[in-house]
Amino acid sequence: MNNTFNINRFGKILKHDGLNFFPNLILALAILWAIPVIIYLFAALMPTDETKDAFDAMSRIDLISTLTSIALIIAPARLYRYCNDSRKGIGYAMLPASALEKFLSMVFYCVVVTPIIYVAGALAIDSILALFHGPYEGFAAAYYFDRYAKLDAIFTKDNAMLDASLLVFFKNLSPTFMIALSLLGTLTISSIFMFGNMIFKKHKTGKMLGILILLFIIFMIVFINLVANNEALANYFNQMNEDKMAEFIKHFIFVTMNVAFYCEVIISALMLFGVYRKIKTQKY
Amino acid sequence: MIKINNLDFAYSNTQVFKNISLEFQKGNIYGLLGENGVGKTTLLKLICGLQKPQHGSVTVDDLTPSMRQPQFLQNVYFLPEEVITEDTTPEKFIQKIGCFYPRYDFALFNQLMKELEVDLTKKFNELSHGQKKKALLACAMSLQTDYLFLDEPTNGLDIPSKALFRKVISQYCNEDTTVIISTHQVKDVENLIDPIVILDRDDVLLNASFAEIIDKIYFEYGPERLQGAYYTEMLPGGYINVMPNTEHLESNVNIEALFNAVMKNKENIKNLMQNE
Repeated sequence: MNNTFNINRFGKILKHDGLNFFPNLILALAILWAIPVIIYLFAALMPTDETKDAFDAMSRIDLISTLTSIALIIAPARLYRYCNDSRKGIGYAMLPASALEKFLSMVFYCVVVTPIIYVAGALAIDSILALFHGPYEGFAAAYYFDRYAKLDAIFTKDNAMLDASLLVFFKNLSPTFMIALSLLGTLTISSIFMFGNMIFKKHKTGKMLGILILLFIIFMIVFINLVANNEALANYFNQMNEDKMAEFIKHFIFVTMNVAFYCEVIISALMLFGVYRKIKTQKY
Repeated sequence: MIKINNLDFAYSNTQVFKNISLEFQKGNIYGLLGENGVGKTTLLKLICGLQKPQHGSVTVDDLTPSMRQPQFLQNVYFLPEEVITEDTTPEKFIQKIGCFYPRYDFALFNQLMKELEVDLTKKFNELSHGQKKKALLACAMSLQTDYLFLDEPTNGLDIPSKALFRKVISQYCNEDTTVIISTHQVKDVENLIDPIVILDRDDVLLNASFAEIIDKIYFEYGPERLQGAYYTEMLPGGYINVMPNTEHLESNVNIEALFNAVMKNKENIKNLMQNE
């Protein structure tokens, strides 16, 4: 018997976890689906000219993306709340599937199924609302999948900081790279909260959010002290002409995006490995 | 067969087992007895792979439980003391987990639910504590695993249910199955368990079948306390005296008296049982 991975057993654990998916997550998703509806109703009461830009299709896509992130954050603790509980987690630990199969099933539901179901539902609701003559103009669904291909549209507005070469730089970013970056972001958020779900027994999401906020504050304090309060650096920037500044920003964005990309890869890999190890070695 | 060799286990600073060795043979219903806190549940968790030994080894049919391999997990089922169930019916619950176990039998589940008089259409949270326990027992037995571990299974059961419990467990066990029942309600499992394992802090005081026990220990029911008895207890109409069986007399084991005798004469009875 293959004790590491067996496709039949994996199918069974997928089915097992799938049967828990809707009862455990549907209420949370319903609340998140309701938010664009509430905003629609709120917007319907406001003067049209003030809300036109705020509720265009691209803005609604941003809202759906934010709500998808929230769905990713809450999914692990909703779906696998008791998997590390010394009493309630025994049933999960004793299920005859390997740690790898349980891990892959967890990743599938938290990283793949949750965002797909949320986005599909949100776009469907948005499309229904857009059918009515109201504040939601255009279908978010029509823009959702090619929004990265339309990146140039974001930079067509006049912006003093964005010179021609910077525009070219952004336009040359491949949509594939941007989609990969976005999917990697999804994986990173999900893996962090999956790990939090495995290490904390109670208030799993809250504790993980708290840790992230704390890390962000520490990072900002270090950044402000090292960079923003650095007079030599300020003088260096003041002496730069516009061309050099644009070149610097372009270089800075390029480096930041690359650093972010590799950081996300490393963080996701570490978190996912941590989740796998916890599934394999968790004591009850 | 379950083999435990030189097992050491501790929770942070609390030593639970120190160098204990023990074997559980197939085809028996073991009674795992001991005072509160001696580690009965911990031993079951170690055998199930829910805990890992700090030193020594635990093997079940030559597999290491703490690795939680599917090959091992599909042959064991652990029913914990605390009844925790999902917001679902026993029927849906067993259908969800049954597919993982090669010998799972839904017809047997239905039959056991009828025998134990539990309504399989009601959700777990609509059932009483005792009904939940019986439903989970039916689930556990319908999986037909080689090893079934029950932690305080009779807690919360009413008197008729305890009799039903004994009946279905005795029906369940065959030459390939091993049931370990951890309990301190010895009366509830009287006439069901054989052999008996009595745990003490850090030690195994007794691991013997009824035949081995009555060969070495005599249970005398009489009108008076006897000198030299390991333990004497007043019963309605007389006394029970637990004594060394020097004359190889036949008697009926009283598990409660045996347990008390062992607890009061740990070394004496341990040495007596180890002597051939």
